[in-house]
Amino acid sequence: MAHLEIDAVSLAYPNAREQSTFLALDSIGLGIERGEFVTIVGPSGCGKSSLLMLVAALLHPTSGSIRLNGKPVVTPGSDRALVFQDFALLPWRTVLKNVELGLELAHVPAAERKAIAQKYIAMVGLRDFEGHFPHQLSGGMRQRVGIARALSVGPEVLLMDEPFGALDAQIRQVMAVELLKIWERDRKTIVFITHDIDEAVFLADRVIVMSASPGRVIETIPVALPRPRPLTLRNHPDFVAYRQRIWDLLEEQVRSSLNWQASDEAPPLAPVS
Amino acid sequence: MRLSRRLVVGTISVVAFLALWQFVGQREIVRSDLISYPTEVLATFVRLTSTGELGTNAAVTLQEFIEGFVPSVVVGVIFGVALALIRPLRELLDPLLTAIYNAPVIAFIPILVVWFGVGTYSKVVIVFISAIFPVIINTRVGVSEIAEPWLRAVRSFGAGQLQIVTKAILPGSMPAIMAGIRLGLGRAIVGLIAGEMYVSLSGIGRMIQIYSSAARSSEIIVLVVVIAVFGYACVALLRSVENRMGTWRSDLE
Repeated sequence: MAHLEIDAVSLAYPNAREQSTFLALDSIGLGIERGEFVTIVGPSGCGKSSLLMLVAALLHPTSGSIRLNGKPVVTPGSDRALVFQDFALLPWRTVLKNVELGLELAHVPAAERKAIAQKYIAMVGLRDFEGHFPHQLSGGMRQRVGIARALSVGPEVLLMDEPFGALDAQIRQVMAVELLKIWERDRKTIVFITHDIDEAVFLADRVIVMSASPGRVIETIPVALPRPRPLTLRNHPDFVAYRQRIWDLLEEQVRSSLNWQASDEAPPLAPVS
Repeated sequence: MRLSRRLVVGTISVVAFLALWQFVGQREIVRSDLISYPTEVLATFVRLTSTGELGTNAAVTLQEFIEGFVPSVVVGVIFGVALALIRPLRELLDPLLTAIYNAPVIAFIPILVVWFGVGTYSKVVIVFISAIFPVIINTRVGVSEIAEPWLRAVRSFGAGQLQIVTKAILPGSMPAIMAGIRLGLGRAIVGLIAGEMYVSLSGIGRMIQIYSSAARSSEIIVLVVVIAVFGYACVALLRSVENRMGTWRSDLE
């Protein structure tokens, strides 16, 4: 039994205007092992973020089920924690208070939650910034706060929704290395959404490639690159081969989604007579 | 450097104004029984204070203010949050609220006196209704403009409905709520003094009414300054509360 099981999960949104439903995810099946680092790539709008929200139970599947340790996931809980692309920090709280948020909501006593928060703030290298407010931090630092906040509740699964998507290219690569260091320390199960193929390969034990809308799993690619992984790994021939393979799969999907848009939304131009 | 320069220039203008006023009044260039002059005003202040007249009346006004203002903030915030979150309630009450919000509270004073008497009750009610509408409306706007990521963050950790309100909605709309409280404060002071001047048994507004019917300029000026200082002190107090709540402002994010 896998640690996290996603079993034939579909998600449909009602479309009020056309009185129909829009299928976002089409029978997704995935088994993720304990301690595994899985990345999910797919074209924009393929529903990969929705999949993460389903695991977090912030959304509920139209059909199918999600199980963690064999138990169905129905409500948000501290066994899963989210890291968001837009950080979603609370601007009126200091770094320390932001990291304490999840513990506070779980009614952990003040002294205890402060100690736990400080531990994770130190882990992400922000010990000197405990008293700072989010607007006083750079994007990379803010996301480290987001990661510390997620880790502080002691989740079994870390759900990361394009966490480095708002950061510039160099910071992104540094953050990826740091994330791997944190992960190698306690080997939490991580599900990581990205549209950056390099990032997906660099981080993952397994890359899940999703189709254009409605989202389906079209390929699961185990990444057999050694760990720990240095930044220079990106030039290794094996890495380049993975990148090429995923790019080929995605290109097809991106093309099909563009064609679909072109035929569906933009009427052909009337010939000029 | 810039701050101290501003301080110097500001002080100069105040001192110059007081000197000119003193000169024009004391030399009777303009009739001093109409405009008085600073040293006379100061002497009047000392006299009113030493007899206890000012203290007793100020205490009445302050008590009316507190008894009306504190409940208006508490009820206004709760009501504003409820309006923002409960759509049927909003649809039901919006037209009524907008109408009352835009009506001058002073127009309600006579009927409130009929209902609640000439004593302090009618003043407490005037303060309450003067302050509550800006608080309700600002709170409502603040809550409905809450940023979605804050709610998402709190929900992702499994927050219940009440926790969503206390951990995300209230602190997130605090800048708007404080703006509403500040607006309500100004309206409450205007309503309170106007109410006391209209009809009352005691209070600063009552003193103004008495001394104005005797054309006693110095006393009236003392009372106006007292009101102005009270208003300034309230705003300063609100500022310090805001600062203590952190450097959170809606333009920082």
